[in-house]
Amino acid sequence: MSGQTWADGAAIEPIEASASLVRANGGAGRVLLRAEHVVKHFPIRGGLLGVTTIGAVRAVDDVSFEVRRGETLGLVGESGCGKTTLGKVILRLIPATSGQVYVDDRPLFDLNATQLKEARRDLQVVFQDPYASLNPRMTVGEIVGEGPLVHGLTDKAKREELVRELLAKVGLNQSHIHRYPHEFSGGQRQRIGIARALALNPEFIVCDEPVSALDVSIQSQVLNLLDDLQQELGLTYLFIAHNLAVVEHISDRVGVMYLGKLVELADVDPLYAAPKHPYTVALLSAVPEPDPRRRKKRLVLKGDVPSPAAPPEGCRFNTRCWLREQLGNPERCETEEPVFRDVGAGHLVACHFSEEVTPQAIASAAERQLPVIGA
Amino acid sequence: MEGTQLGQIPAKATTGAGQGAVDEVDLTPVRTYWQLARQRFMQHSLAVVGLIVMAILVTLALVVPTITGSLYAKTSLSLANHPPSLLNPFAPLGYDSIGMNVFIRLVKALQTSLFVGFSAVSIIVVVGITVGAIAGYVGGAVDNLLMRLVDVVLSLPSFFLIVMMVALFGTGNAIVVIVAIGIVGWTTAARLVRAEFLSLRETDFVQAARALGAGDRRIIVRHMLPAAMAPVVVAATLGIADSVVVEATLSFLSFGISPPEASLGNMLTNAQEFFYRQPILILYPGLTLILVVLAASFMGDGLRDALDPRQRVRK
Repeated sequence: MSGQTWADGAAIEPIEASASLVRANGGAGRVLLRAEHVVKHFPIRGGLLGVTTIGAVRAVDDVSFEVRRGETLGLVGESGCGKTTLGKVILRLIPATSGQVYVDDRPLFDLNATQLKEARRDLQVVFQDPYASLNPRMTVGEIVGEGPLVHGLTDKAKREELVRELLAKVGLNQSHIHRYPHEFSGGQRQRIGIARALALNPEFIVCDEPVSALDVSIQSQVLNLLDDLQQELGLTYLFIAHNLAVVEHISDRVGVMYLGKLVELADVDPLYAAPKHPYTVALLSAVPEPDPRRRKKRLVLKGDVPSPAAPPEGCRFNTRCWLREQLGNPERCETEEPVFRDVGAGHLVACHFSEEVTPQAIASAAERQLPVIGA
Repeated sequence: MEGTQLGQIPAKATTGAGQGAVDEVDLTPVRTYWQLARQRFMQHSLAVVGLIVMAILVTLALVVPTITGSLYAKTSLSLANHPPSLLNPFAPLGYDSIGMNVFIRLVKALQTSLFVGFSAVSIIVVVGITVGAIAGYVGGAVDNLLMRLVDVVLSLPSFFLIVMMVALFGTGNAIVVIVAIGIVGWTTAARLVRAEFLSLRETDFVQAARALGAGDRRIIVRHMLPAAMAPVVVAATLGIADSVVVEATLSFLSFGISPPEASLGNMLTNAQEFFYRQPILILYPGLTLILVVLAASFMGDGLRDALDPRQRVRK
């Protein structure tokens, strides 16, 4: 592996050595990253000098999950549900309000600056916007080579060799090494971003909507590239997206977020075939049907997502929940926050009444909505 | 230019092809950021004119006073009010009412003004970038404190502040004038840099650098400052023009540099006194001032375009 060749020459800290050892031993399926009760509140400041805190946007509110080595965990949800914030918080790009993330059982949020720098070699990120994520004043070589440089690969010739190798790996022309980002197309730029993430030979990559900004024709190329790299290098992905089809295609397990909370987390097939949370049901029913002759019954949610600065009491979805309506508006939904519980075979759901989410219930809810859709 | 770059192509092509068959050979010559910036600047014809004019002015201001020494302060009453004449290479602009050589004096004044302008702008840029970068990068209470300081400085009437400082600490001293202009003028640069830093701090490429493990210094120096520099460079070039005008105004009001030292401002004062006898004397320092200000402004415009890497270099 390219990253290893130079890393072996440079002084490697134990974390890298142990991580690659585990990888070599085929540690697939074991937990790589564990997020526990991660909370991120953005304070809303006010007052005369703008220093008094008058509230908080609860972007991420008590989220716990695990990412297993070698898997792709998809994370879906509407705009503003906190997916991207969660991705940045677990990489410690923005400080968490509380909670902890363990990477190989090391508490990421407690590491000091030196340890954090070492840990960052294993945790990389690919951003959504291929135009904003590359420094326009640096050449491709400088961009991709920055990580190795920061981590002690000072030999310019070796670095260039590594960069060329990485460019080839992500399917870019190696002779473009001295070009600037604005000379590339969106898809090519995203490949540069991926090469930059790979340069440190990481284990875990947060892909923050890596294809959302790309043309549909380019999306599949980049997805296939991510897929191939995962096979080849044994990478683990946290794949954040709002495109459900893309997530279904690439993920092993999928988490669904709503208003800063994880509401459902399960293997991809059970989740798409039989979602257990009313929000997931509604979300999946919004996926367009490719066959125009088939009329699909859709569950359209009423109203807008409530403000994350003042989320509803109890279950956060209760203001828009079709199931709650069907069950005669039980009080529990408004008073008690549902526990994120296992409803069988590791299928986690945060709903008091997830057992009521049956095909019949969904059908009858859609039935009742049909006139609205026709109108 | 093209010739030297063409020379690099064969080397580039062989390394590219040597790596593998998939590679198409990239025949675009390798150009660094500064080479590209220079090319973009050169495409801006007004900026080039500004640069040439500024270069001529700076050369004159450096060379002529060195040769003529203290002649700029020499009075010879027998030559008073001698008219300008191109036939006299030693005094093409004639002599003023107390017999000072106008040309030598004008060049010396230009030297003073440019010295004041460049020095004041250096103070403005250094203080402005430092304060703005700290405020924008650290944020929070530090940012709040520094920006309130900026508000305080901005809320004071700047020109009176300068006049007061010059009056208190030494009329006629160029250094005092420079420091006074600097102390009053850094706020704009600080605000520009802070605003840039605030938005840059959240950009994906800065976040990506952080994710790579780059330290604060690298992020500031390599990623944020270069991106924040463009507006500062433009403000600084325009600041040269401003500072020269402020110095001229101060000297015109006899607060700045006073005779026998020469400055564009005190030459204007002098010319105004003898306006009815020799009206043309007001033209020389006036025109010089306009030249300096225009040249600096045009250069500022050109630099703004040149420092933006997204601007295309026309073939």
